[in-house]
Amino acid sequence: MALRRLVFKLLLVAAILPSVTHAEIAIVLNSKDDDMSLIDTTTYKVIKRVPLGKEPHHLIPTPDDRYVVVGNAAGNDLVMLDPSSGDIVKRLPRIADPYHLGFSPDQKWFVITANRLDRVDIYRYDNGNFTLAGKVPLPKTTSHMAFSRDSKIAYVTAQDSNQVAAIELATQKIIWKTSTGKEPAGVWLTPDGQHLLVGMTGEDYIEIFSPMSGKSIKRLKTGKGAHQFLPQGDGRHAFLTNRVENTISIIDMQKLDVVESFRVPGGPDCMELRKDGTELWVTSRWINRVSVVDLSTKKITQSIHVGRSPHGLYFPTHAARQ
Amino acid sequence: MQTLLQLFEPVQSWLFENLVLPLLFHTGYMSYAEDAFSATGDFVLALAEIGFIYLLLRPLETWAPAEKWEHRRGVRTDVIYTFLYKTGALPFIFFLLLTAPLGHLDYTLRELGYTPPNLEELVPWLGQYPLAALLAYIVIIDFAEYWRHRLQHRFDWWWALHAVHHSQRTMSFWTDDRNHILDGLFKSLWLAFIAQLIGASGSQFVGIVFVFTLVESLSHANLRFGFGTVGNRLLVGPTFHRIHHGIGVGHEGGQRGCNFATLFPIWDIIFGTANFTRVTPPTGIRDQLDGVDYGEGFIDQQWKGLVRMWRALTPTKSAAK
Ligand SMILES: [Zn+2]
Ligand SMILES: [Zn+2]
Repeated sequence: MALRRLVFKLLLVAAILPSVTHAEIAIVLNSKDDDMSLIDTTTYKVIKRVPLGKEPHHLIPTPDDRYVVVGNAAGNDLVMLDPSSGDIVKRLPRIADPYHLGFSPDQKWFVITANRLDRVDIYRYDNGNFTLAGKVPLPKTTSHMAFSRDSKIAYVTAQDSNQVAAIELATQKIIWKTSTGKEPAGVWLTPDGQHLLVGMTGEDYIEIFSPMSGKSIKRLKTGKGAHQFLPQGDGRHAFLTNRVENTISIIDMQKLDVVESFRVPGGPDCMELRKDGTELWVTSRWINRVSVVDLSTKKITQSIHVGRSPHGLYFPTHAARQ
Repeated sequence: MQTLLQLFEPVQSWLFENLVLPLLFHTGYMSYAEDAFSATGDFVLALAEIGFIYLLLRPLETWAPAEKWEHRRGVRTDVIYTFLYKTGALPFIFFLLLTAPLGHLDYTLRELGYTPPNLEELVPWLGQYPLAALLAYIVIIDFAEYWRHRLQHRFDWWWALHAVHHSQRTMSFWTDDRNHILDGLFKSLWLAFIAQLIGASGSQFVGIVFVFTLVESLSHANLRFGFGTVGNRLLVGPTFHRIHHGIGVGHEGGQRGCNFATLFPIWDIIFGTANFTRVTPPTGIRDQLDGVDYGEGFIDQQWKGLVRMWRALTPTKSAAK
């Protein structure tokens, strides 16, 4: 009897163990605390906090998903993390002001917007190696970026000079530059490649441009402090955070219209979406929390206390970026 | 420290979201949202710290004063200084004045390939121990502050400004911020320069400022006890710093004073400026005894400080004789 119970217990443990070790973590960058919070995505509990470097703002997985790259804007370095454990694998020093980071779809280019230095640094990327190809000055306060499908062009916003520019990656030349509303930030190219959506953080709308000519097509009212995009994965809709209004808008990228909006507290900024589309995780920067939204009810189901001014957010099993 | 900061988070969030952020949005300064968020936190923390220091030191000053005063009228101006400096009103003006030139300098340096080094980069293991890193930054900044203070006494024109701090004859825990505005600007520049060299981040600065504020308030308090023979050599306390303010010792002699350290007396010991004698001299500047007026109110003191500096920089007829 005792033996059978023991065997049963052992089996039980064996059954549980893999799921424990494979528990997924979410990585949250606490920009004002110079560290990251690692959160268990099944229990919503913070497992630990790990020092990273000065002012980590954004993070992005490498094209082969081997690493997650974190940019320490004031630390002037990149940190490569193991996406499954959050462990620091290596550091790349002497990278000036890596504020926002992006890989081109063909995985050949790595782009940094150096927010304080008012320029865009373009690196060639080859299997974990970064080589600087060129620096493109773009006054003032370069902020977010998007890429054309063919990986030829990067679209970059310049927050304090109210501009958006298209840069040819191979030549590092500016193809077009156009004026926008106040403080353009997040930028997203619709899947059909026909429209460039730009969040106006100093206004209450997104402005839509032609990616070819840079011509303004229309303004779409969303909410005060329109900021950052994340596609819903269905190739049709995208989320947009409105940082002053404290809402998230769902945008139909075909009809170029707002489908609906829901409230998220504390200046919502970066987002991450579960692969099955059930939950949206959002960094609520002014309340030092990650808000988890149940997308079937649009209600906040979890409010996870992390470090100060949490910004970038990532977990491996996320919805497709389309 | 983290948990202590968390206590004030809701207040910071509320103030920021309801007052500061709408203001930034409507004036078109959303780019400063992050800085303003930090500043709001610093403001809340400063108010809490002032309250904490008051509750701790005010009863102590009544209970064990180094000097007995008939009234505390002379303390009032220092309260104004404290609120102007600690809550960030003056630092905000310095920020506005320095952001453009320092930003430009930072840009030029980085263009030339110079990226500000971090202490954690030079000593990698520090990166894993935030408290040790914080302590390292504090030690380095304290060392730099020791030398800035030496220079404040060394140059006549700088002493002309620093005299505002020394002219307090009823020195209390409010006195640590009693400084000429121009002197405060120099201090900000000096610290920005140090930060550029060792790369302390914003969050570390909060911790650094917190520690300096606490120790400096305590070291200026009107208290007759220090930290004992050993303690007085480890951390600057009320008796140690009172000697620095003492007439006859604090700003005279070959080194133009003694006990210059802000946090750690070790600098005074190393550089031969320490004075551990057990005296409580009256505080002030010697020529105040001869009737020289350093000003009563805030404006008066600021103006007289500028005049003194001007005189120190331009040889007057009487000096030429
Ligand atoms: Zn002095
Ligand atoms: Zn003093």
